Amino acid sequence: MMIKFVLHRLLWGAITVWFIATATFFAMHAVPGDPLIQDKAMSPVVRAQLEARYGLDKPLSQQYFTFIGNMINGDFGISFTQENRRVNDIIREHFPVSATLGIAAIAIALVGGVLAGSIAAHYRGQWPDKLVMFMVVAAISVPGFVIAGLAQLIIVKLNSAAESTVLPVAGWGGVNHVWVPALVLGLGTLAYLSRLSRAAMLEVLSSDYILAARARGISGVSLFFRYQLRNALLPVVTELGPAVAAITTGGFVVELIFAIPGLGRYFVQAVQQLDYTVIMGTTVFYGAFLVVIVVLVDISYGLIDPRIRLSAGRS
Amino acid sequence: MAMLLFVLLGPLVWQQDPSQQWLSQVSSGPTSGIYARVVGPISTKGVGNVSRLTVLESNTERVQLAWPEVVSVERFRLYRAKQHQSGKGLPLWQGRGRSYTDELQLRRQIYRYTLVDADTGMMLFSTETRPEPAISVFEAQLQELIPASATVYPEYLRLPAHPLGTDALGRDILARLMAGGRSSLFVGIVAPLLFISFGAIFGGLAGYIGGKFDQFAMRSADFVVALPFLLFMILLRIAFGIGPGQDGILPLILAMLLLSWPSSARLIRGQVLALRSQPFIDSARLSGVTTWGIFRRHIFPNVLPVLMVAFSFAIPQAIFTEAFLSFIGMGVSPPSTSWGAMCNDGIKTLLSHPGQLLWPAAMISISVLAFNILGDALRDTADKRSGGVGQ
Amino acid sequence: MSVVAIEHLQLALSGNQVLREVSFSLEEGECRALVGESGSGKSLTAMCLLGLAPPNAVLNAEQFSVMGQPLPAQGHRDWRGWRGRRIAMIFQNPMTALSPTRTIGAQLSECFRLHRNMDRRQARAESAALLERLAIPRAEQRLSQYPFEFSGGMLQRVMIALAVACRPKLLIADEPTTALDVTVQAEVLALLRELQHEQGTSLLFISHDLGVVANIADTVSVMYAGETVESASVASLLRHPAHPYSEALQAAMPRLHSREITVAIPGSPPDMRGTIQGCAFAPRCKHRMAICEDSPPLLISPRGAGVRCWRWHPDYPERWRLQHD
Repeated sequence: MMIKFVLHRLLWGAITVWFIATATFFAMHAVPGDPLIQDKAMSPVVRAQLEARYGLDKPLSQQYFTFIGNMINGDFGISFTQENRRVNDIIREHFPVSATLGIAAIAIALVGGVLAGSIAAHYRGQWPDKLVMFMVVAAISVPGFVIAGLAQLIIVKLNSAAESTVLPVAGWGGVNHVWVPALVLGLGTLAYLSRLSRAAMLEVLSSDYILAARARGISGVSLFFRYQLRNALLPVVTELGPAVAAITTGGFVVELIFAIPGLGRYFVQAVQQLDYTVIMGTTVFYGAFLVVIVVLVDISYGLIDPRIRLSAGRS
Repeated sequence: MAMLLFVLLGPLVWQQDPSQQWLSQVSSGPTSGIYARVVGPISTKGVGNVSRLTVLESNTERVQLAWPEVVSVERFRLYRAKQHQSGKGLPLWQGRGRSYTDELQLRRQIYRYTLVDADTGMMLFSTETRPEPAISVFEAQLQELIPASATVYPEYLRLPAHPLGTDALGRDILARLMAGGRSSLFVGIVAPLLFISFGAIFGGLAGYIGGKFDQFAMRSADFVVALPFLLFMILLRIAFGIGPGQDGILPLILAMLLLSWPSSARLIRGQVLALRSQPFIDSARLSGVTTWGIFRRHIFPNVLPVLMVAFSFAIPQAIFTEAFLSFIGMGVSPPSTSWGAMCNDGIKTLLSHPGQLLWPAAMISISVLAFNILGDALRDTADKRSGGVGQ
Repeated sequence: MSVVAIEHLQLALSGNQVLREVSFSLEEGECRALVGESGSGKSLTAMCLLGLAPPNAVLNAEQFSVMGQPLPAQGHRDWRGWRGRRIAMIFQNPMTALSPTRTIGAQLSECFRLHRNMDRRQARAESAALLERLAIPRAEQRLSQYPFEFSGGMLQRVMIALAVACRPKLLIADEPTTALDVTVQAEVLALLRELQHEQGTSLLFISHDLGVVANIADTVSVMYAGETVESASVASLLRHPAHPYSEALQAAMPRLHSREITVAIPGSPPDMRGTIQGCAFAPRCKHRMAICEDSPPLLISPRGAGVRCWRWHPDYPERWRLQHD
């Protein structure tokens, strides 16, 4: 039953990735202007060589099939602006950095959000609830890049007040380089998830089965984890897919501001320099990555909620 | 109760944004400003004799200092410090002359100049001065405060006020906030208006007609939803491109339209499907109301509150999207600006002048907050009113 | 010694007196039914017995004890030794009273592990045995199923299993059959009765259905507007109801062998948001008298029922005239 469910999701994912790749390809080829125009003047010979190298001399349909074929083989081509650098290498080199940051951010958002939401729900209408909800509204209304900038400003003030480097302002390296950007990156999602888990937890708290469990003498930690949290997590898990997407794109900005050598920063640079292959490669890569995440979330939702698993298996 | 909330909160929320737009019309006119001395080229007349370190001229364009000869000192060194700064401060100059003109980033604050013997480091003189506001003839001519051909000019000029100061390129932040707000809010309101209307019509038709068309509409919606939104915003923005002289707003709106219609289409389709099976639609049809009549009289009024809610939540989303794209340089292109683009400029000078980031950031946050609150209020109202047709 | 002794239990929720005067007792092995309209405070009384009254509740009682021991304050941590171990409860709707994301086995063996200190394997074996005992087929496999895979009747059996798992002294059943099909109702009632005899448990059976009550209970307490207006044996209540409200309830009960049209009680229960002066039932009572402006004391009818109605006062009817005279 479960296998069928998983296969179904995987097939859906594959089709979506193909669609993303196709859309990317045609979007990029609809760009007005000449992809090879750069500052330097080019002799016709050099130009012809470059065209041959990037396959630009072939008809569009052939380019498309080459592109899709290469994609299937996991080959994204060569960068336009950083010559001789393969897009695969760029991804391989910089994605782990983004992933580290993203995983840290997701972890912070998930744990913080669920915790804050649960606390707010348990103290409904009292000051912890009001505090959490106020922070949620504040965090949702402020763009990520502003939070990033402010965080940097605070770090600078902190460092100058302490007259030593308490926290690094930017860059990449040790643990201290990770957690501030990760917090900044996760903050919006954290706020969103706390609102969500607060609502879910409120519903759980007013449910019969919590009352029944308490009437059976279940209390404290086991009541919270086994009964309340487990049921309140369901709606949160469904939102993890969008949350990962938000953190991925949010990462572009945070990596830019904190000067972190992640894939997001390279993507933004590529966009600004119109580096076609890098844009296409990273877009498809990110698209595929997000699809994989969505499929994983679907599957894990099936694991948590037995109703989904069984109904999907039966249908 | 809900209506009360709606009536009271609605205008309160709406007030904020028009007020910013309204201000924009007066933004360029000078309101109240400071008088600045108009400073011509450095006069070449002799320094004359002074008995100690003397300030000959002191304004924000330049501070001219002169000092007497000192026995046994060959070379002098001049330092400049801010008033409360300890020590001698910044070394400005070293040499044999007996005068110096400081033109280095002077502001309207008290400076302390210290002259020392460059060889022994012995302190010779010290003096304090507070430069008065000034504008150079060249800049005054450039900004057309005085005619370019004029050779005689007034001693003082009244400069336009910058209540929020100027940005890194000397542009008035308040004025730019207003201009930026126009593009931000324009995108923020027009884009959702377009994609929600499009989605609503498409989804409404899909729900009403049903069958093959419905399937086609929902399949395409599925695919568009599967696209990573911001990535494709960037991609489409590049694909549409912008020619010289365009501000990039149109491609932005088009890209949003292409990517954002499915959510409202799905929403409206669901609503129309639910409504279509309601008995009152059947009874209307039985009593001979035309399809268009049913749509206009029964479906549209019932769907409208839902649409309004979706609209008010789409606005902050669109404002955010615009800000994000402008921030990474893929949104509104110069010389036009938007709050997001201003943030992008501001973050570069964050450490020295946080205001340049904070003002546009505050504008974004306040408008987003306002629209979110409006959306919450609208949703509460709609929830209470609907009752019949399930969400 | 009474298993439950409640005297003058009062409870206010944000200033509204929701329970005004609840008194009853429950002997060992006895089954007492708590009967009344919805909103009369039956379930709230049960919640108080588990320490699960809403957090803003203010509780007051002259006596409020189980097995001779006074109960802890509502929401106090001392309730741990009581809930599930000495007092257990069966809920009205079995479909919503089990966590949907955990297996039946996990929830059932949790009880054994928590209250009887069993290890995992022991608890599971015990759970299977208990389900078997409650006539659930294929009990072993059923343990690893989720609540949504069970039918309503099966789930209520599971709820009963959860409640009796630790052989509580007091079992509260809050309308345990209301959400079930009629055919299943009888089975569940028989099962409850059987278990009660087997384990010697006292049963507090909450219901609004006198028919069901007649089937299972020994004694009945009738509640109206947060007050126990009559406590009597089942037979006495059904044949000779002493309080006008009991009378009306009894008259409203559908009968199999009679063509009489059942009589609905005119009027509606009082609004609990205000303070109630005098007898709460007076506005709907056909025996209303001037004295009913004052709260009636607890009186004993000649047949031994405890009843709050002036008509059983020794001075009736000499001293008071009916109001409509």
